[in-house]
Amino acid sequence: MPSNIVRVETTPKIGEGMRDVRGDSVKRQLAADHNIEIGSVRSIVGFLIDSEIDSTQVNERVDDVFADPIIEESVTDCLHLDNEELFSEEPDMVVTIGFKPGVTDNPGKAALDGFKTIFPNAGENARVSTYITYSFTSVPDGIDVDWLSKQLHNGLIERAICSLKGEASAKIEYSPVEPIEYTAPATIDLEISDEELMKLSEEGLLALNLEEMQTIQAHYRDPAIRAARAEVGLPENAPTDVELECLAQTWSEHCKHKIFAAHIHHVDTETGEDTEIDSLFKTHIMNPTLEMKEEVDWLLSVFHDNSGVIAWDDDWSVCMKAETHNSPSALDPYGGAMTGIVGVNRDIMGTGLGARPIANTDVFCFGPPNWEGDLPDNLFHPSRVLRGVHAGVRVGGNESGIPTVNGAIVFDDRYIGKPLVYCGTIGLMPRRLADGRESHEKNPQPGDRVYMVGGRVGYDGIHGATFSSLELTEESPSSAVQIGDPITQKKMLDMILEARDAGLITCITDNGAGGLSSSIGEMAEYTNGCQIDLGKVPLKQEGLSSWEILVSESQERMTVAVKESDVPAFEALADLHEVEATWVADFTNTGLFHVIHGEDAVASLPIEFLHDGVPQLKLESEWKKPEPTPFIPPVSSTHTPLLLEMLARPNIASKETWVRQYDHEVIAQTAIKPFVGVERDGPGDAGLLAPIHGSTRGLVVSNGISPRYSDIDAGAMAAAAVDEAVRNAVCAGVDLSKVAGLDNFCWPDPIESNKTPDGRFKLAQLVRANRELERICRAYFVPCISGKDSMKNDYGSGENKISIPPTLLFSLFGNHPDVRYTTTSDLKPGESLYLVGESKQELGASELAFMLKETGVVEGIGGEAPQLPTPEKNLQSYKALTKAIQSGIVRTAHDCSEGGVAVAIAEMCIGGRCGAAIDIDGPGEADLWGRLWGESLGRILVGVKQDNRAEFLSMMKGNALTYMGETIEGDNLSIWDGDDLIIDANVDDMVSAWKGSLDMTGGDQ
Amino acid sequence: MVETPKVAVLFGFGINCDRETAAVFELAGAVSERVHVNHFVNGDRDLSEYHILAVPGGFSFGDHLGSGRLLGNRMRFAMREQLTAFVAAGKPIIGICNGFQVLVKTGLLPGKEVPDFEQRASLTLNNSGRYEDRWVTLEFDPESPCIWTKGITRIECPVRHGEGRFVMPASSDLDALDASNQIVTRYVDPSTEPGKGITDETLPFPLCPNGSIRNIAGICDPTGLVFGLMPHPEAAYATFLHPHHTRSDVNEEILAEGMQIFRNAVEYAQANL
Repeated sequence: MPSNIVRVETTPKIGEGMRDVRGDSVKRQLAADHNIEIGSVRSIVGFLIDSEIDSTQVNERVDDVFADPIIEESVTDCLHLDNEELFSEEPDMVVTIGFKPGVTDNPGKAALDGFKTIFPNAGENARVSTYITYSFTSVPDGIDVDWLSKQLHNGLIERAICSLKGEASAKIEYSPVEPIEYTAPATIDLEISDEELMKLSEEGLLALNLEEMQTIQAHYRDPAIRAARAEVGLPENAPTDVELECLAQTWSEHCKHKIFAAHIHHVDTETGEDTEIDSLFKTHIMNPTLEMKEEVDWLLSVFHDNSGVIAWDDDWSVCMKAETHNSPSALDPYGGAMTGIVGVNRDIMGTGLGARPIANTDVFCFGPPNWEGDLPDNLFHPSRVLRGVHAGVRVGGNESGIPTVNGAIVFDDRYIGKPLVYCGTIGLMPRRLADGRESHEKNPQPGDRVYMVGGRVGYDGIHGATFSSLELTEESPSSAVQIGDPITQKKMLDMILEARDAGLITCITDNGAGGLSSSIGEMAEYTNGCQIDLGKVPLKQEGLSSWEILVSESQERMTVAVKESDVPAFEALADLHEVEATWVADFTNTGLFHVIHGEDAVASLPIEFLHDGVPQLKLESEWKKPEPTPFIPPVSSTHTPLLLEMLARPNIASKETWVRQYDHEVIAQTAIKPFVGVERDGPGDAGLLAPIHGSTRGLVVSNGISPRYSDIDAGAMAAAAVDEAVRNAVCAGVDLSKVAGLDNFCWPDPIESNKTPDGRFKLAQLVRANRELERICRAYFVPCISGKDSMKNDYGSGENKISIPPTLLFSLFGNHPDVRYTTTSDLKPGESLYLVGESKQELGASELAFMLKETGVVEGIGGEAPQLPTPEKNLQSYKALTKAIQSGIVRTAHDCSEGGVAVAIAEMCIGGRCGAAIDIDGPGEADLWGRLWGESLGRILVGVKQDNRAEFLSMMKGNALTYMGETIEGDNLSIWDGDDLIIDANVDDMVSAWKGSLDMTGGDQ
Repeated sequence: MVETPKVAVLFGFGINCDRETAAVFELAGAVSERVHVNHFVNGDRDLSEYHILAVPGGFSFGDHLGSGRLLGNRMRFAMREQLTAFVAAGKPIIGICNGFQVLVKTGLLPGKEVPDFEQRASLTLNNSGRYEDRWVTLEFDPESPCIWTKGITRIECPVRHGEGRFVMPASSDLDALDASNQIVTRYVDPSTEPGKGITDETLPFPLCPNGSIRNIAGICDPTGLVFGLMPHPEAAYATFLHPHHTRSDVNEEILAEGMQIFRNAVEYAQANL
């Protein structure tokens, strides 16, 4: 059958009750981001249909597939813009944007599905690609059309065609995917000099160091290995490119966490300490958790699976995982963030025999959205990164039906160099399946079939794992960028959960970094061997060579093992759900990771060498206390305007317009939402879920992050992150006897080299952070059950180098006995106010210090960062407070973090639309500045109805507790220091300061 | 007379409120089953096995090509006879959010006494241009034939959509819909007196979260059996899901006002099927 390319365009009808909302949004966004007022923007969506159906037939059914006849006008085989009736005014500029060939086109995939419903005879190779055209009228002078198009598309993944008034309208044509030429597996000679080994590693984007290259070289010199290779027809003395790529993926920093596993020589010039550390991970994370595991019965699975699992009750277990997707998000904020969120969802699906994702969290670190300074080459403006990342997480989460229940956005100039995009997911699974197996344990057997389920393998996503282990440069490969496809993944999730419940799965894991080489390679450890046939793997486009198929990180794929007897039932489920599931491998017990492509062996690596062969790094660490210019508060100041300024700081201001675009209550379980209070716009602390419908049993999820304390001490930074996450959970009334944590480190490169002359210091920061993490987690009894690290968060080199502040995100989830018994931060009328914990003179690296430094009022931000000298005391008061909350007598609590008591009480007034009068005079050594703005840890502001005061006081007996004041009628917040009124602020003024500064929507109509 | 009605809750292809929708029918006294759309499309299951059909919220097919459109097409072309027979048998159907969009695009809403599968209305992008999750206040037409909303004056529940603005080609179409009391529920200003909140004039954002004409949040077919709405009553099934539940003392009662819609359908099925 001949193939035709038919063009269909649709555009919104304009008229009574009908408008072009998409065009209006672009107009508003240009006004909000760039202060450009455009007369009007209209949008046209285009489809290029390559199929066996001719344009007459397509035209007859246009309204059945492509256009909604009630609200849209459609045309076939011509451009809407050429229709003078619809577009009577000739636009000044036209920009048409389509995807580059090979980039995932989700609307195109959906359109093809719909097209085939109408035309089942469309042909096997039918394709649909989509584009969008914007036409602009009354464009102000001086706007360049290329500049305009750059605001609307990302050249890495999209192409744009522009036209000006008087020219023929921009018309995008179908661009067929360039055929890829298949390259047969090559043999790589490793009998070369050390310099040449390193050149091979660098030029091949292998990201392996000399010792690792030498270890591989030595492997192929082993006579036993040579003999075994000869037997299967592989080159005896040298690896194939398939093997070398597979080792590079498996041994990448991303997959093997080599820095956390390294042997470290640590010197502390402050104390004279000189020690050796054999693996930060084992010493400070794994061992403490394993020791805690001895004391409780609810730590079911830690460290070895895709996420850590705890027993929630007798019937259910829960798991959680958080990951970063920083480098892809820097290159394409939308696609990078979307693959981040749907990727971590797959970690949950791949836990045990498959868990169901029930909630997402997201924490982002960006440059300031209002940044006016220079931008290094190849980096997006922070507001563009914010918009793109937000959109990616929104689409990825919302379309997957997983609520986003908790998160944060942190701003600092240095994140311009590398934004941090942390995505976390909580999963739920039955403790036992119907066949009696415990669902947190995988149990594959030799002979089980291995299926690749979900999407196909393409050229997209090759070298992602090694790429994320390198720093960002202008040459960063665009193949590392992908766009997620949440619907393909959702169909796969539906199918996998049915397969799990039917007992059809013996082992499951996701395809993330390293693709099939990692997923099947890791699972093969269970049976001690596998054989993969790359010839069976379904491809997006023909021509991929063997190594590319093996390591491609194409999204939306799970690897699932099935007993042979269950194959028919498993394949029938895949058919029902319209999910592609292909038998690509078998488990064996040969001790080998064996790969064939059709008839030929292309790789054969001992499982042990693949997983345990990487040599331990040896690193040097040296701590010298940083001496930033101290923060000295001004002699006199009026604190009321300072409060309004602080409330508008991006790090403090309301993120409501962004967060409200996430679905935070799908699944009907979210008992504390991100925004609380009278007008539902006050800040929520932790998220609280009741995931079993009809039951009040709960789960708490919270996050802590405070990267700027690293400017003084990365140890204090880590302690603060843990305490903040715990404090937030305490506010929800968490059950502190069952709480687990996730450590997620994002660091600048801590390995000393020419590029990183301060590597020893950065490694010492990591050592200190780990030590504090261990100390606080032990004191609070919060085992770290799953973690992740991303260790190359730098941009550029030399003087232009930007390194992020060392950042630990601590995520926490825990049990809650009854979600009805909880608190929110909004004040309720008639409450007495108390401060749990003590205020100390800790203003170093505080939000106030940064603000006053940026405005030129003070010289520096140095001084004391908040410390946690006696965490056991904090825990005691947290336990007392959670008990009071669980008894129902406390309905209001809010943690004190950025901006201290002043900001916390202001936020409580905002949520409650309620006035308050408090006195900050009290015990302790802190002065007025410290008590008002200091960020001492361990503090929570609590509101208690006057009737409940006595009971509350008796429950809190023996803990640090200070009476602060009362809510008052009217709408004023007054803060006294003894007899001096130091803040007198109107609630409405605080509301507008807090809500105004990050609202970048440009309005609601 | 059926004692325990059976509810088919559709799932698959990006529907994602199927679990909670199934749960609320169970809490209302029915037995519910999540059934993959393809079971009905392939013909290995039949709608006639069930007494109530629910099309839950979600992002079927990613809402590409317009919300609910592609799932609507599958139902329109592959489930036409089953749906016609279901309606003819007097069995209730509800579409929530994406499910409402699906029912509008199949033509079942606002529909005819006997379904003709002609699309007469649409749900399009919110005026704000944004998907949003926020709680709204709904008020109900007491004269409506809708069997799902009997006895309900006002409830609060969340909207979670980017395409919820209800439109019809002409205002005369809306007048006709109003005259037959098919405009079942509308967004209202919570500061008005319950029962007196309904107005034709479009309320400002966020009271009317999407700019819907005449503040329309949900409509029914002429028989009152088929009901669709953009807001999510199933997400307001429990007292502790209300955003204000901590603003008063602990409420020991678990089930909340959102349940009444589902109870009504279960009771209707018990009395009439």
